[in-house]
Amino acid sequence: MAEKTISQEFAKGLWSENPIFRQLLGLCPTLAVTNAVVNGLAMGAATTFVLLFSSIVISSIKKLIPPQVRIASFIVVIATFVTVADRFLAAFFPDISKALGPYVPLIVVNCIILGRQEAFSSKNPVFRSIIDALGMGIGFTISLLILSSIREILGSGTFFGMPLTGAWFKPWLIMILPPGAFFTLGLLMGIFNYLDKKRR
Amino acid sequence: MELVTIFISAVLINNFVLHYFLGICPFLGVSRRIDSAFSMGLAVTFVMTITAIVSWIINHWILIPYHLDYLQIVSFILVIASLVQLVEMFIRKTSPPLYQALGIYLPLITTNCAILGLALLAALKNYGFIQTIIFGLGSGIGFTLAIVLMAGIREQLDMADVPEVLKGPGIALITAGIMALGFLGFTGMLK
Amino acid sequence: MNIYARMIIVLTSIGLISGAFLAGVGTLTKNRIALNKQKEINEAITRVISGAQISNKIYEEKDLIIYRVNGEKNNLLGYAVYAGGVGFQDKIYLMFGVDPEITKIHSLTVLDQKETPGLGAKITSEKNFLQFWKNRDCTEKITLHKPAVNSPDQLSPYEVNIISGATISSEAVVNIVNTALERIRVLKEEGKL
Repeated sequence: MAEKTISQEFAKGLWSENPIFRQLLGLCPTLAVTNAVVNGLAMGAATTFVLLFSSIVISSIKKLIPPQVRIASFIVVIATFVTVADRFLAAFFPDISKALGPYVPLIVVNCIILGRQEAFSSKNPVFRSIIDALGMGIGFTISLLILSSIREILGSGTFFGMPLTGAWFKPWLIMILPPGAFFTLGLLMGIFNYLDKKRR
Repeated sequence: MELVTIFISAVLINNFVLHYFLGICPFLGVSRRIDSAFSMGLAVTFVMTITAIVSWIINHWILIPYHLDYLQIVSFILVIASLVQLVEMFIRKTSPPLYQALGIYLPLITTNCAILGLALLAALKNYGFIQTIIFGLGSGIGFTLAIVLMAGIREQLDMADVPEVLKGPGIALITAGIMALGFLGFTGMLK
Repeated sequence: MNIYARMIIVLTSIGLISGAFLAGVGTLTKNRIALNKQKEINEAITRVISGAQISNKIYEEKDLIIYRVNGEKNNLLGYAVYAGGVGFQDKIYLMFGVDPEITKIHSLTVLDQKETPGLGAKITSEKNFLQFWKNRDCTEKITLHKPAVNSPDQLSPYEVNIISGATISSEAVVNIVNTALERIRVLKEEGKL
């Protein structure tokens, strides 16, 4: 199989192997924290951080880990960086930490991260793993941003906390409640599939 | 009375899937048929209840007394991974047909955010020992309820005329949205 | 090397290194996190008792924490009460300030709530809810005035305004406060304050 170029390695996380829309991974935080753009952004950043550093560590020590204990090893490494992200947010961004609640620790079971370690970092050199992690992380973050923009604009009439629509627009409260999350993601999946079909 | 409140809240009002968005992966992945959905729900409820007990013990006997709360995430996930491993071995030994039915779903329970979510939420809400068990039981039952309802609907959906781009996860999510809408009606029940 | 030995060594090493690393991170962030929590409480206390300079936690039980608040000249200004209770969706945590004789509520602020956004969540809004809690007479129970009014002048001194469309959340706050007040009076009689 032809080796991907660096830019292809990066770009695949943005569309063709988009973690949310193509791989259907990490849906729990996607639905939970996209009620406001700032939350989606924070979650995307935290996830990318964990993904990046886990990939670096695991790619560096991949030769040392016996296959039977690889999942357990991955989990410990990932959980370590998740704890770092969680403590960092609680210490320096307490409001965001409160808003994201238990979803930051839940990054540890975000299948995207474990999936990338299993599928890529444990089998590839460090540099490529970094590119792969960045592509997936940024693809994830952009998807979160799209979802949270839609939900925040329609659901609160604001963007990043700043009022956007005038008084004439009565926000659709449902958008920031659970049903709105499901509907929006479902429709976006449909749109993604449609655009993807047209591309081919 | 408070135990009843916690239970009803976990099953209906703050349903793990439809309110907390936990357990979405199995919710979308295993909800095509009612019987497999029910088996998954049972397995999850079982693991959740035991996880509730073990995580409470670890939290209150080890982590808090020794000021090790920064080890909470690591210890919880390791406990869950081990528990799932044990449950899988146990089911394999005692009931091969059940093992056949649940197949690959069991290891997937480890990354099921619902289990870790349960441990974290119970710790966050600072529940006592019995409360945590009830919370675990209720959340598992709530998850089972949601996934079985979803399977019932999806079995019908499979025969319906769904637009190509929405087939699969798209329509499943929209269905979940409608279910979530329905469950919203349960809020305020506690009064 | 024996494969089992290798497995154990690798796992233990990873565990130990990660544990040590986290211990470092934990210690570094521990103070900051405690500070943030303290800051939140202190800010709430100054919001509910004006002129507050020094506060001391004097009593704690489940869902109730009482702070003794002193002013500039170290005079007793009153008590800041942190109380929690069941709301519409989940638990509500609030703080209100009372005078030393427990006859007046200076002011109330909501610290943590998960009520319905746009409806029950309005209990955090100054305009819709909190402004009506200033200088309330609490010698008797606080009651909810329905239907909603526009200005505090339209309320009796022991009444607070209901939020239209959020009856249960409004009632929940009133219940939490009344329950706390009852408890404080008992504690005062027992000399615990």
